[in-house]
Amino acid sequence: MEKRGRIGIPRALMFYRYFPFWQSFFETLGWKVVVSNGVRQKGKIVYFEDSCLPMKLLVTHAIQLKEKVDHLFIPRLVSLHRNYIMCPKFRGAPDIVRLATEGHVPILNETIDLREGEGALLQSYLKTGKRLGATKKETKRAYLEAKKTFNQFQKEWKDRINRLPTGRLFEMDIPTPSEGSKASWRVALIGHPYNLYDADINKDLLTLIKSLGMEIITSDSLSEEEIERGVRDLSKEIYWSSGREIVGSLFNFLSEGVDGVIFPTSFKCGIDALLQEFIKRRLKIEGGPSIPLLILSFDEHTGREGLVTRLEAFRDVMEQRRSDGQIAVS
Amino acid sequence: MKVTFPHLGSMHIFCKAIAETAGIPYIVPPETSRKTLTLGALHSNECICLPFKMILGNFIEALQKGADTIVMVGSGPPCRLGLYDLVQKVILEDMGLHYRWLTIPPRLTWRAIWKNHEETKELRKELSAKNIFLFPYGLWMGWKKMMACEALEKLAMKVRPREISKGETQRRWRQALSWVDGAKTPKTLEGAVKKGKTLLQEMEQDHSRIPFKVAIVGELYTVMDPHINRGVEQKLGELGVEVTRTSWFSTHILRSVRQNKANQASERIRFFEASKAYLDYDVGAECNVSIGEAILRSKEGYDGVVHLMPFACMPETTASGILNKVGKDWDIPILTLILDEQEIEGRIQTLLEAFVEMLEWKKGVA
Repeated sequence: MEKRGRIGIPRALMFYRYFPFWQSFFETLGWKVVVSNGVRQKGKIVYFEDSCLPMKLLVTHAIQLKEKVDHLFIPRLVSLHRNYIMCPKFRGAPDIVRLATEGHVPILNETIDLREGEGALLQSYLKTGKRLGATKKETKRAYLEAKKTFNQFQKEWKDRINRLPTGRLFEMDIPTPSEGSKASWRVALIGHPYNLYDADINKDLLTLIKSLGMEIITSDSLSEEEIERGVRDLSKEIYWSSGREIVGSLFNFLSEGVDGVIFPTSFKCGIDALLQEFIKRRLKIEGGPSIPLLILSFDEHTGREGLVTRLEAFRDVMEQRRSDGQIAVS
Repeated sequence: MKVTFPHLGSMHIFCKAIAETAGIPYIVPPETSRKTLTLGALHSNECICLPFKMILGNFIEALQKGADTIVMVGSGPPCRLGLYDLVQKVILEDMGLHYRWLTIPPRLTWRAIWKNHEETKELRKELSAKNIFLFPYGLWMGWKKMMACEALEKLAMKVRPREISKGETQRRWRQALSWVDGAKTPKTLEGAVKKGKTLLQEMEQDHSRIPFKVAIVGELYTVMDPHINRGVEQKLGELGVEVTRTSWFSTHILRSVRQNKANQASERIRFFEASKAYLDYDVGAECNVSIGEAILRSKEGYDGVVHLMPFACMPETTASGILNKVGKDWDIPILTLILDEQEIEGRIQTLLEAFVEMLEWKKGVA
């Protein structure tokens, strides 16, 4: 079938959670999805604003795509949950991109605000479909198809993380390998999805961790109930869904006995700055089992070598803890 | 029980008035100093915003002076202000400081009132009937003092660029504020305001000077507290600039109790509408207003805009990117000052001097 045109999706921010949904939606509607390549070399980042690295990368990727596509897809992600919201920077993201690309390419920027109710997600995609000239029926079908793909993807997610190279995680035509290698450590990775999976931000942290013989579980693989259990006792509700996920999953992982926790953050991320202070203090006050927690802060100047050293030290601490435990038992 | 509150701007004056009038024991935190900031910065991390550190420093110093109950204005999503209390509580606890915490709800909803009721249950046992009876009067007195402080500050902003001897306005303004602070009854307060206004107006002024007009926009605590912004308002005034701003405690209080009908609030709606060409959604906090105000001030013939924000402030970071564009599109000089805990007072002075020189140059060319 002849494609209707090209939709550009920047490989940034929530790409690292919803890409399979977006890809399936637009392809079902008959559009070709073009994804930006990423910034392999340093110095190619576009500094439109002095924000956190993930936001700068969004602008960079969007500019990379602007000449090659008919539409850019940058939804205004206000809220992706009934009660919780996204970082305020997401609200301005389509405008920032529009100003940075100087209006060269139309932007599909429909608002997604799930606080408005269950139907809000479908409503938003219906609007996007309408802008692309699809009928309501076609869009609805594409939406359901996308939902199906996304559910399947989520089921396989835990295995994909451990068995596929980082660059292939979101390539849906590559099936999940049935067998992975045996790991001697179980490490929890908590953080915003882009900090976890964007190799331009974290210098391919996933591969490094795996090469040190660690199996990964991530904060985005937990269910809503498991997160809720972790944050139930807080004196105030954390209203950012990502922040809530980070804190909730941390307490959840600690209670279920992982060997260590790694928290990659982006320098200048407001949510992470506040919450890492909270996490550190809270764990100190509570005492309890001293599971090693490694907080890594990334910006465009972070080097890979320092990272390797820190991860090796982290593994040594886990090793020490394990051998101490064995001595105590015998 | 000894209550304490942040030192922010003139907040300590009217919070003190409420407690004093209602007969509740209180401790005013020591005036925000280098030490306050160092304490706040030491017990947080580099990317937490500056108002957080200032307020934390105030609380630490007040608790060390013997206060035991912290009263803090709450806030809501989307920016970090709404979670200050969650994190500050844990930090104080980790430091081994003992405190009780009382949040004033940011919006008057039933849920907020209920939570407030729960929090105050313990505290009310320590209050006498007299305290409770006098409390509404205390609130009224606090409101009056807040309005008095704002009126005096507005007057100071007006006369400062015309002062003959540099720093005279600042001295007189502080004197007037201390009179307001010392007033115990509505009558003495009225007298103090009148006396303060006369003091400022009678200062020797050069009325032939036509000062530049600059609007200060940005994150509200940063705009309102001279310790956070290192006296930008005073510095600009003394460089011969007449400064205006639309962010005051009264603006935000009126907004939160949904009394938007007042002139100030409708002005904010006007700013908000003006920002739509650049920002098509409410980002939260002051972001949209900062952008809209810059656009409208340019139309109104202002000479420049100074945009203040704490380092890593989430909504204002978006604003600063867009303001770059606004400045070019509307041909108005916009100076964004990003504030953190580093010793930057000298740098700010230099930046402001350069900014004013640029305004002079621009005027000469035009």
